Amino acid sequence: MRTKFAVVIAGLVLLTSARTMVAHHSFSAEFDANKPFKMTGTVTKVEWMNPHTFFYIDVKDEKTGKVTNWAMEMGSPNGLMRAGWTRNTMKAGDLVEVEGSLAKDGSPTGNARSVSMNGKRLFAASSQGNTQ
Amino acid sequence: MKNSLRAALISATAVVVFSSSAWVLGAQQGGAAGAAVEGQGGAPAQGQGGGRGRGRQSGPVTPTPRLPDGTVNFGRVPGEKGVWAVPYITNMAMRVVGKDGQALPEIQQAQAAARAGGGGARGGGGGGGRGGSKSEPWMPWMPWSAAVYDYNSKNESKYDPEGYCLPPGGPRMMATPYQMEIIQQPEHKRLIMIFEGATHIWREIYMDGRKFPEGDELNPTYLGYSVGRMENPDTLVVENKGFNENSWLDYFGHPHTDKMEVVERWTRPNKQTLHYEATVSDPGAYTRPFTMAWDIPWRDGGELPEYICQENNRYLNRLEDDLGQPIFGPRPQPGLKRPAGTR
Repeated sequence: MRTKFAVVIAGLVLLTSARTMVAHHSFSAEFDANKPFKMTGTVTKVEWMNPHTFFYIDVKDEKTGKVTNWAMEMGSPNGLMRAGWTRNTMKAGDLVEVEGSLAKDGSPTGNARSVSMNGKRLFAASSQGNTQ
Repeated sequence: MKNSLRAALISATAVVVFSSSAWVLGAQQGGAAGAAVEGQGGAPAQGQGGGRGRGRQSGPVTPTPRLPDGTVNFGRVPGEKGVWAVPYITNMAMRVVGKDGQALPEIQQAQAAARAGGGGARGGGGGGGRGGSKSEPWMPWMPWSAAVYDYNSKNESKYDPEGYCLPPGGPRMMATPYQMEIIQQPEHKRLIMIFEGATHIWREIYMDGRKFPEGDELNPTYLGYSVGRMENPDTLVVENKGFNENSWLDYFGHPHTDKMEVVERWTRPNKQTLHYEATVSDPGAYTRPFTMAWDIPWRDGGELPEYICQENNRYLNRLEDDLGQPIFGPRPQPGLKRPAGTR
């Protein structure tokens, strides 16, 4: 059972990591790779658009109870489709876990590197990997 | 349970690391000599081997396809699909080659030093490791081009025109990581290159032996005016003049002027590899010409999807100048806050 679990996870990751990076604007002018984040929230809106797909999530601060709406940037729809996404992969109301890098300006904005939902982890075709 | 979860995570991580590097080598680097993500400040990312040499290919290498007259076919074989998977080359100074077509020895040394130094060359991820003009002493700088490059290095390419959805000009067309196709039309004495990315544009290369327009007849444009010829059945040579000054040579921000002329040479040593060479002569910005080279891998079965960069470019709305003023869109009145919804 344990081995099977590990193999399944590893397989899923392998399947979803055949990613295509797409570059557009300067990642490092806006985001700080030295400020990684991992947060979980509820999707409020998805903008499946060029040059970058954005989605927004409500994230609740466990201590204060305050809810903040975060803007998350991913790659282009083409890049995302090559990474296994479709425009309906993520919808408003979905609970997602996002990993990526925070904006330098301190605003609630992130560059998503991967998104996990419904037990699947998909890479976000973001520009970060390109400039490191 | 904790242990099994840990084991799962460890194997997952291992697979990610393995498959990520395989991806870098396979899909993106593919054809070797240059198709790699460049490290900042000079060093290629780990596992890229410095980007020299040719023919490191993940799949089987098959012979160069040819047109009925024996000329190299730079596009698809009839009945098959496929596209050129243009690599992401962020710093063209690291692709400068000598007369032998190999990377300059000082570049090889810089890469080795950066590798030995560990993470020092990462910079572009936000760590600020870009070395500017001094880290590229082999580039034939003029004082102003060095100063502009240092500025672009310092602000990490914040004002890159490509970030505004403006097209790359010159060799950067072959270094912006979207797919492209080459369509030869010998019956029309022209060759067309179509690009998914940058700004979903095309290049028309006149193969009819014409002369360049002279004086003001040569209107400066992003892509310039391109006249090509087959130097021999294997080599396409394209001369380009008439560039405007609205583009950068690369993501790192090497500048150029409207005096720039570029001579491009293309070969297809095998079906899977397009070899690209560009000699840049710009007496407005560099004291002597330099030549850069890299390979572009073939992606079997690929097709070009639509990509309209201008659709929703929020970067423009967020972009502020060095004084904190928005570059595009409404400027705030003194004493008033920025309009709601802009950030």
